[in-house]
Amino acid sequence: MRRLLPLLLLLLGIALPAAAAPTPASDAFPYTLHTDTLPNGLTVVRVPYPSRGIIAYVTVVRVGSRNEVEPGRTGFAHFFEHMMFKGTKTHPEGERERILGNFGYDDNAFTTDDITLYYSYGPTAGLPQLIEIEADRFRNLEYSQPSFQTEALAVLGEYHKNAAAPFLKMEEELNAAAFTRHTYQHTTMGFYKDIQAMPQAYDYSRTFFERWYTPDNTLLFIIGDFDDAKVMELVRQHYGPWDRKAAHVSVPAEPPQKGPRTAHIDWPQPTQPRQVIAWRTPGAGTSPADAAIQTLLVDYLAGPTSPAYKTLVLDKQLVESIGSDYSEHRDPHLFTLTATLKDERHRDTVRKTLLQEVSRLAAGRVDAARLKAIQDHARYGALMALETPRDVGIQLGWYAGVTGSPDGFQRHLQSLPKVTPAQLSDFTKRYLTANKLILLSLTPKTDAQGGTK
Amino acid sequence: MKTRALMSLTALLGLAGCATTPKPPPDENAPPPAVPAQAAAPEPAPRPARPEAVPATPLRQPKPMEQVVLARPDSPIVSFRLVFHTGSVDDPKGKEGLTALTAQLMAEGGTQKLTASQLLEALYPMAAELDVFVDKEFTTLSGRVHKDFLTRFQDIFTDVLLAPRLDAAELERLRANAISDVENGLRSANDEALGKVALDALLYQGHPYAHFTGGTVQGLKAITLDDVKAHAQRVFTQDRLVIGLAGAVDDALAQALSARLSALPAKGAPRVELPAVPTTAGRTVIIQKPTLSTAVSMGFVSTIRRGDPDFFPVAFAMSNLGEHRQSIGVLFTELREKRGLNYGDYAYAEHFIESPGTTYNRTNIARTQQDMSLWIRPVVPINGVFATRGAVFFLDQMVKEGIPQERFELMRGFLQGYTRLWEQTDQRRLGYAIDGLFYGTPDFLEQYRQAMSKMTPQSVQEALRRRVQPEALNFAFVTEDAEGLAQMLRSGAPSPITYASPKPEELLTQDQRISSSKLPLRPEAIQVIPAQQFMEK
Repeated sequence: MRRLLPLLLLLLGIALPAAAAPTPASDAFPYTLHTDTLPNGLTVVRVPYPSRGIIAYVTVVRVGSRNEVEPGRTGFAHFFEHMMFKGTKTHPEGERERILGNFGYDDNAFTTDDITLYYSYGPTAGLPQLIEIEADRFRNLEYSQPSFQTEALAVLGEYHKNAAAPFLKMEEELNAAAFTRHTYQHTTMGFYKDIQAMPQAYDYSRTFFERWYTPDNTLLFIIGDFDDAKVMELVRQHYGPWDRKAAHVSVPAEPPQKGPRTAHIDWPQPTQPRQVIAWRTPGAGTSPADAAIQTLLVDYLAGPTSPAYKTLVLDKQLVESIGSDYSEHRDPHLFTLTATLKDERHRDTVRKTLLQEVSRLAAGRVDAARLKAIQDHARYGALMALETPRDVGIQLGWYAGVTGSPDGFQRHLQSLPKVTPAQLSDFTKRYLTANKLILLSLTPKTDAQGGTK
Repeated sequence: MKTRALMSLTALLGLAGCATTPKPPPDENAPPPAVPAQAAAPEPAPRPARPEAVPATPLRQPKPMEQVVLARPDSPIVSFRLVFHTGSVDDPKGKEGLTALTAQLMAEGGTQKLTASQLLEALYPMAAELDVFVDKEFTTLSGRVHKDFLTRFQDIFTDVLLAPRLDAAELERLRANAISDVENGLRSANDEALGKVALDALLYQGHPYAHFTGGTVQGLKAITLDDVKAHAQRVFTQDRLVIGLAGAVDDALAQALSARLSALPAKGAPRVELPAVPTTAGRTVIIQKPTLSTAVSMGFVSTIRRGDPDFFPVAFAMSNLGEHRQSIGVLFTELREKRGLNYGDYAYAEHFIESPGTTYNRTNIARTQQDMSLWIRPVVPINGVFATRGAVFFLDQMVKEGIPQERFELMRGFLQGYTRLWEQTDQRRLGYAIDGLFYGTPDFLEQYRQAMSKMTPQSVQEALRRRVQPEALNFAFVTEDAEGLAQMLRSGAPSPITYASPKPEELLTQDQRISSSKLPLRPEAIQVIPAQQFMEK
């Protein structure tokens, strides 16, 4: 019977596809999306791209560190991304490399707070093998405990690699200050102590796979130069029998913030003093319009043509750089302004200058011409950034994973030019307020020997 | 600079690509490799001796303002790529960093018509890119713009070179940033980059390649605005320039660009004569700084570069050992996948600088005297010596035993496809074409693929034996307990490793060989440098 079951599902897969009308190319995004949903819930998007025999194959699973709800299990989505390369019964560890390696694919993955994205980028000629081996690992991943324990050490090595610069520590402290209940409290890497304990969590890793690696929680994007009908036939054949359902695990909601918060880091090595100003803001998953506003707000407040940049970077030269770490999140996350200072003495001036720009905007004083320039920049910037099928696939996958919509990226691009000066101001007044503020400062501890232990 | 590698998409693309893949499990039923251990091969000829020095055979010199045009009418984007044959080798002694600072000031500091701020405002709505990158011998000014803004951008892009503002306040701003890049960036925030720069400094001691391209702290402090003005006239000249154009371009644009750039000084300063580089082996530098881990780089000055008949087979072999950030390499499989030592381990047949957002080498960083290197990403300090021995062990094994036939075929398939990814953008296609002019290697990647189709495991091994000698290695480490590491290296004592998970017997036996193998370093040539003194002057 087990052998018949996949065949039955395969037939259903052919009989009952849910095909959306193609999302046509536009000025903002010059490629057409052909989207189908298989009966098991897997969304499959094909994007023709004139890449002369090259394709990008992108799978995005809507799981990230956001989904790590159990204490002691932080960093697992990212760790699991590593384990996805460990093979199955049909293709044991090492075989993926021999099959895909032979075609020369760039085969990699990354994890964020909200998504895990896998990509293979290389010749169209390998697509049949790629579809088969990808479907197999998403359906049937299998790895041994020793292999799991060894890979945990590679993750620890990744943490060590990232720990030399202040950014990881800053993200850890900012998240801890901003979130008391929501899982955004920890970074995607996870708490160091949890990473060190990962080798003991083999059984949990199996649960994690069953829980989140399901067709209804996954979107597949194929971008490039290929025969669509043949590819869809293979996709249905190999992914059709995948039949798990995503678990319902609720992520704790973050209670409203009542009053400003602060956090501070003494950095034990020479580095520039840093200042982060953050506010809790709506997520892109539920408020795409607010995501468009925040995207534009980054450059409005701290971009290379902003008054703060002109004052702080160019004229007074108090900072090396200003900017923002904002990125789209599924749930309410943070809008930030960041400054890399030249001297601790200027911290107050820098902070005040940035906050004055926020106040000015909240008071309704919007430079409409500058907003228009930012919207033009966003439009042309997106066109310039889509240089290869891989670029297109990662952008589409990222936004689809965060928003849950296969055309999330186009929708985002389309909403950018519609943002009005009044909306920019209203958003600022509503969300970038004094009692939702989180201030993070970092001060280097320098001595004659260049740091302490 | 992006700040949060795991949260920002751009940064993810650039920095945090997080890979794994498999190890080939030992297959006891597999046939013996076709080119296996020495016992099965014919008695190899004695290895040629390594020369005492690598001479500076000059690169080829394209004609002044030679053009490379790669038109692609289906693209709406125009790519400009101006490659000047100047780099940090042109920095005067005591003014290390002058070329980089000059180039930066031209690219960012405004033009005679536009202040720095106005320059940013002009470029911004077009989302145009205007970047500069300085290496040892080459400086690349690249631009990209949508054809909607071509005329306006072309004026600005050429003004940056022809009529730079060279403003004193901007010089101070960029100088402060450059000093901070050394003091806070290089020395403190990126142990991996620090290890690589330390290896460069060690291999090329006393050579114009030795100092950090971005400059030394004292060198940067000594630079005056007059130095910058004079230097721009000396090195950004017609005779040092190759003009690259790609995408939505036509003859008229190419001619107009050349006509404008003919306002550059015709001839620059005489080219710096590079000295021969001694091939001294077995030296070690340990950079001491607070850190959780130990970063390792090792390498030697190469006797070949592109254009040499041995270059392709050696490049092939080094990709087999460790193609950058791909899981297919031997070092990745052995050190990361099987042993969990770190995040990755790679090998390079020529100098490698990761092109942002990719896993590929930059283009237009050609060097007269190349180096080969191995890169071990940070390991926990207790495993530092073992990991180093492991990398040398697998390099040595490849040179002595060659690449088994099955593995050879896999790597050939991989590189036939993977090298196509190296030329998927206009800027990269231009970069390869321009490098080809200097190395004398037209159609370089296609030539590589053709050469691979004719290679055999034997031909690769012969080239390896001629060109790659593990005993020629030099070592750079970044770690906290520098004295402890130095003592360990001096003693030559075994560096056993233990694992928290069960390992196959075969691997444990191999570990014993690795942990007691002799590292090709000289105990008297181990030097410890506090990070705070590195690249001071």
